[in-house]
This record gives sequence, C-alpha cells and structure tokens, in this order.
Amino acid sequence: MNNHIKHSAVDRLWGKGRWQRAVVAICIALALVVPTAQAQENPPPTLDQIQAVARELYCPLCNGVRLDNCDLQACVQMRQVISDRLAAGVPKEQIKQEFVAQYGPVVLGEPPREGLNWLIWLLPVVALIGGAVWIFMTLRGWTKAPAAPASAAPAANPLAPSARAEGDDYLAQVDADLQRLE
Amino acid sequence: MADLGLIALVIAFVVALVGIGMNLAGAWLKRPALVVAGRNALYVVGGFVALASLALVLSLVSRDYSLTYVANQVSNTQSLFYNISSFWGGQAGSLLFWTLVLAGFSVAVTLAQWKRQPVLRPYVTAVLLGMLLFFLSVVIFVANPFSRLWLMPDGSMPSALFAPAGAVPAQLTDGSGLNPILQNYWMVIHPVMLYLGWIGLTVPFAFAVAALATRELGNDWVRTIRRWTLVPWMFLTAGILMGSQWAYVELGWGGYWAWDPVENASFLPWLTATAFLHSIMIQERRGMLKVWNMALIFLTFQLTIVGTFITRSGIIESVHAFAQSDIGPFFLTFIVTTMFGFLALLGWRLPDLRSPNHLDSMVSRESAFLFNNLILVGIAVATLFGTLYPIISDALSQILPIEHMSFAAPWFNKVTGPLFVLLIGLMGSAPLLGWRRSSKETLVKNFTFPLLFGLAIGAVGFWLGGQKLYPTISYAVAGFVVGGILQEFYRGAKVRRASKGENWLVALSQLLRRNQRRYGGYIVHLGVVMIMIAIVGVNVYQSEGQANLAQGETIQVENYVLTFNGLTQSATPSYDSVEASLQVTRNDRSAGTVTPAMHFYRTVAGRDQPTNEIAIRMGLAEDLYVVLAGWEGTGQTASFKVYVNPMMSWMWIGGVVMLLGTLAAVWPHQKETERVLAPAPAARGAQPA
Repeated sequence: MNNHIKHSAVDRLWGKGRWQRAVVAICIALALVVPTAQAQENPPPTLDQIQAVARELYCPLCNGVRLDNCDLQACVQMRQVISDRLAAGVPKEQIKQEFVAQYGPVVLGEPPREGLNWLIWLLPVVALIGGAVWIFMTLRGWTKAPAAPASAAPAANPLAPSARAEGDDYLAQVDADLQRLE
Repeated sequence: MADLGLIALVIAFVVALVGIGMNLAGAWLKRPALVVAGRNALYVVGGFVALASLALVLSLVSRDYSLTYVANQVSNTQSLFYNISSFWGGQAGSLLFWTLVLAGFSVAVTLAQWKRQPVLRPYVTAVLLGMLLFFLSVVIFVANPFSRLWLMPDGSMPSALFAPAGAVPAQLTDGSGLNPILQNYWMVIHPVMLYLGWIGLTVPFAFAVAALATRELGNDWVRTIRRWTLVPWMFLTAGILMGSQWAYVELGWGGYWAWDPVENASFLPWLTATAFLHSIMIQERRGMLKVWNMALIFLTFQLTIVGTFITRSGIIESVHAFAQSDIGPFFLTFIVTTMFGFLALLGWRLPDLRSPNHLDSMVSRESAFLFNNLILVGIAVATLFGTLYPIISDALSQILPIEHMSFAAPWFNKVTGPLFVLLIGLMGSAPLLGWRRSSKETLVKNFTFPLLFGLAIGAVGFWLGGQKLYPTISYAVAGFVVGGILQEFYRGAKVRRASKGENWLVALSQLLRRNQRRYGGYIVHLGVVMIMIAIVGVNVYQSEGQANLAQGETIQVENYVLTFNGLTQSATPSYDSVEASLQVTRNDRSAGTVTPAMHFYRTVAGRDQPTNEIAIRMGLAEDLYVVLAGWEGTGQTASFKVYVNPMMSWMWIGGVVMLLGTLAAVWPHQKETERVLAPAPAARGAQPA
C-alpha cells in the first residue's frame, strides 16, 4: 500500500520539468537501493502494450519509419526502454515525453506545437485560406467583367432546348444528342 | 555486347544534338526538309536507345560480371525474371530505362501527331530530343550502365568505362544480386508504371513549349494533349497504387503509405497533373486560365524531375532510396535551366495568353474547378514542404532557434487529411454544378438526393464506426459523392430510356459510350471514393496484436484467434525459407491456416536482410495480415505481428475502377460523338466532361 502511494506520487512528479525529473530520478535511484521501497510490483508489459507506445513514435534515424516496425538495433533498444518504463509504471504519454527530451521532436514525427514551430502548423492553413480568398476575389471580379463575345451567347446554341437550358446543360445535352441522332 | 551498347548511346547522343539543331533551324528558316530530317533524327535516336537497352538486358541475362551494373544487380542464383527486371532495378539501368521509355513516347507521339500538327511539330520534336539529350548525357557521363569493374595492382576494384592505368579486368564469378525486398512482382511492375506516368507527362510539356514558341495558343494543342495527359496520369495512378500494394505485401508493418520522400516524389506530379486535367477543361470550353494551365503543366513536368532528383541525389534520407549516386548536380542544373527557360518563354508570350475572363456566376462548375485546383496544389505544396523540411530546417537552424527535424505520417496526415476530405467534397459537387451558372432550382434538384444519401451513409458510419468524428465526416462525404454519381447515371439513363426506349442496361452502356469523358470521369471519381473509404478504414480502425507464441498458444486480434502450429524450413535455388503455420478461427469458426514466412536470399545483397513473406487473407470487409517477426531456438516459440485492416481491399478495387474509368474516358471510340458535338466548341453544346 505504501509503495502504491509512493508510486503515484512519482507519477505526478515525473515530467514537470527537467530539474524535477532529476530529483525524481535520484529518488528512484535511492528507492532502488532501499529494498523496502522497490517499485517493481507491475507485471512485465506484454508486447501489445509495448507496441501501443512504439506505434506512436518514430525511429529517429530512419525517415518516417514507425518505431514498432523498425528493425534497427537502436530501435530494438528503444523498445526495451519502453518495456522498462512500462514495467516501472510510467504512463504512455510520459514515456513519449521522455523520448522527445532525449531524441528531439523527430520521434513524434511532427513538430511540437510551440514557439516558431507553430508556423509549420499554421502556414498551410493560412496559405490555403489566403488562396481561397484570392480565388474568391478573382472570381468575383470575373463575374463583374463584361462577357467575352465568343462565350457570351449560351442561347445561341440552337441545340440546347431553352426549357432545360438554364444551369442544367447536362440534360440539355443529352436531349440535344438524342435529337441529332433521330 | 556492352561495347555495342556504349557505342549506341554515344551515337544516340550525337544524333539527338544534331536533330535539335535541324528542327529549330527548319522551323526558323521555314525549311520543311530540315524538319523532316529532324523528325527522322528522333527515330534514329529511338532506335539506338533501344539497341543500347537490348545490349544491357542481354548483358544482365548472360551474367556479364565484367560490368559493374551487372555485378551489382544479378547473381548466379537469381531467376531470369529478376535478372531482366534488374534493367530498372538500379540507378544506371533505370536511367537508361527512363531514356528508353522517353524515346518510346517521343516516337509514338510523333507518329500519331505528325500530320495534325504542322506548325507545332518541329518544336515538339526539339523539346523531346532535348529531354532525350539530357538523359543520354546522364547515362553516358554520370551513371553509365556499361561501366566496367577493374582490378588494380593494390587489389581495389574501381568502376570505369576504360581501363585505369595498370588495371586488368576484374574476373568475378558471382554478383551480389538485386536487393531481395525488391524481388516482388509488384516491385517489378510498379517502377515501370511510374516511369510511364512521369515520362509520359513530358509530352504535354513539349506541346506547351511548342505552343508558346509558335504562338499557336488556341484550343488545338489543348485538345491534342488531353489523351497524352490522361494516359500518363493513368499510369502514374497505377504506379502509385502498385507501390502501395508492394509496401503492403512486402514491408510488413500493416500499412501501405508512409509519406516517405520517394513516395511523395511520385505523388507530387500526380497532384498537379490532376489539377491540370480539370483546369484544362475550363480553357477548352471557355478559353480562360491559359497562364495558369501553362504553369500547371510546367509544374507537373518539373516535379517529375524534382522527384527523381530528390530520391536519387541522396539529399534526403529515404528508406527506399535504392539508387543513389552523384547525379545530383546534373539534375539540379537541368531543373534550374528548364525553370528559367520556361519562365522566360512564358513571360515573353504573356501578352498572347491574356484572355478575357468572364464568369456568369460564382456558383458554377468553373469556380468548383478552381477551388479544386487550389486544394490539389495546396496539398502538393504542403507535401513538398514536408518532404524538403529536413533541408529547410537545417538551413533555418543557422539563423533561427529551430531544430533539425523531419516529418513523418502524423504531420502529413494532419495537414493533408482535412484537405483531402474537402477535395473529395468538391469532387462530388462539381459535376452537380452546371457550367457557367446554377440556378437555385437546379441546385435543389441536383443536390437534394446526394446530400441526403451522404447524411444517411454518415449516420450509418457514425453508428457502426464507434461514434468517431473524422470517419463520420469522411463517410458522409463519400456517400455524398456516390449519391451524386448514382443520380447522374440514373438521370442520363432515364432520359435515354424515355426517348429511345432502351432498357436500363443498354441505356447505361450507351450513355458511357456516347459520352465517354463525362461518365468515364464519374467512374474515376467512384474509384477515388473507394480508395478514401479504404484509407479511413485502415487509418482509423486498424487493430493489431503482437505476441511471442509457443506451439499451441494463441493470439487474439478482434474476432480472429490464431493458434501457432509450428515452423517448417525449406529451400529453393534462390533462398532458404522459414515458414510458420497458424490455425485461424474467426468468430469461433475454423477459417483454415495462414503461413507467414521469412526468406533468406543467398545473394550478397540478401544475406543480412531477410524478407517478410506476409500472409494476407483479403476480404471485402477486412484483411487479416500476419507477419512472422522472429523465432527462438529451433522454433519452439515464434513472435508474430497480426493486423486486422478494415476496408483495405477497397483501395485496390478503387484503383482498378479508376483505371477502368480512365480507359473509358480515353478509349478511341469517340468519332461519332465528336462529329455530332463539333459545331459549338465554345458554347454549351461542346462535350462536357
């Protein structure tokens, strides 16, 4: 029971900042030395549990290969680290953060949403909205422009029956087709 | 044999150079004889490139290990099939193969269009010869497949065309063989498809340049290149999907697409070519967007070269950059030269390209096409940015507080995913909007059923799919598109039934036959929706399990239970195989056995890299995908990865549907329709698409 409480306290502390992590690490080290405080109650994690974490991480050495599928020795070791951390009761998100701290954001496969990296997320959105506005304005300009003589006379097509013509040139065309065949 | 190949390449190079000169001189001096000679030069180049290719294939088949390329690609135990496909399996050979395909396209387009394009033809031929010249120069000077291995006095074995001082020919008795993970039928055919796509897109580019050079900027060249764009586009689509199929059946991670630089390189020109295929219709019908279309066709062409550059120069790490060398500077020079050349040409002709732009209404197919263009180009720009970000971040990190970083699937999916959904929504809307304008009544009439159908499908998806937001939206959009397509077919057939008294089946086939472009296009759209359904299914609903099993132990994933029966070992001339057998039960009913395996090829290339032979049980609703990941001792325990991939088959079915739709659209069966519809090309009676 005592162990359990200590354990969740460790959980809460871990990940709040580097210096705090260092303190926690020292505590853990001490705890390992003191047999009564050893936090090894968790059963060893299953492969499924390890892969569930690895699935959300990327090999920092190869481009775009998911950690759960990378055969590099480095990645095998990283999965072992995941296994050890899971065995120590560390939750998934925290393990991911530890990997980011060690290898950089590349292990997440995407830039962190902080600082200048926000630009990487926002630029596509801004560019797309900008492009849409630009097209919209251009098109609005075109709707006000005078019609070009060549394309000005939809009604000039004698084959498009006027009853159907408006906006529904498809049926008009099918009709026109049929008329010409007959 | 190799010497013959080398000589053929050099002759082709010289003739190409002379041919360009003859074409340009013939055009400027108005000397038809020179233009004809220039055309014949193209045929001669094609012949010599074919001869060089034949020489390389024969060297591969006869295992002439004095050639570096053969020694690297072929081995004594490798089958004839893979020895031949080694032609495009490595750097130097694939560049020669590229040259061969380019020569094939060039000769074909010249034969088909010679009479129809009296003004454009010298320029088209000159551009095609220019491209051939570039690739021939790469093949001759940088990545020569006829380069030989030499043994130096100090024991080293350099590769060179001619003997270095003091060297004797190296006498190898075996080669290292094709990379074993490339030894798969899909991998053999998929690069061929991609090349047919990429290289085919040179043809519309050549016509664009010729149109600019001659100021023949009317609709003539636009109509000519329609098929010459659609067919390469079809090959590119097939190539990308076959590449996905290869990744799916060979790489063993349960997925099909990883946003790897090589994959992105194949996808980028597809995006811009798709945009071009749509926006060119506006030019064809309305004479608008001439500059934009020029830019798109150039961008498409350029991206095929940029993609080749990215994946082969080694500037970006990629898991499947199988072929890297120092061709980078050559390609970069070519890219920069063609870019400035084309921009200068475009700038020079800009006044001729200005067209009176007029739009009757914002609610029209034209505007839907323009937004479709925006999204396609947006996806392309984002993908290019993401692919190049490792370089960009390296450069920026000098001046800004950012880290070196490369993106993987999460970034690409999050950025492009919503764009794809938007795009497919537009894909469903555009056919329901009329050209020029749509009145309120038409909108109500055309959109009611598809929207209701989409809502219904979305509701079913919401209910069956675990109440998730994104898949629900995606499935609703898919339903909307399918509803629209069904409605179009139904209405068209109804009209024919009413007026011609045909039965439904005849009416439908006549509809397609008499308006191939329009209904072929719908079929392509239907294929796209199927692929979307597969992507959402696998990305959102994939389940996986992994376990170390002793004989008799089981692993359960979803409603599948697999029991490990044991390992067996066997051998073929090319590889040793270790095969696992697992008994499958599905919903407590026996469903046979699956046998995932690992192959250990006996070649140098294969020794340290066993290949996964994944057991895939395909089904319309889901695939069972079992990978043998490893074993201990003599096989008392083995570890497996098991995936259940919902809807995966629809990706391949959708791909086939897209191909059939494209074929329906381009099938030369149209004379009757063209004749009937010819009188009013600029007005509404022209062929819709």
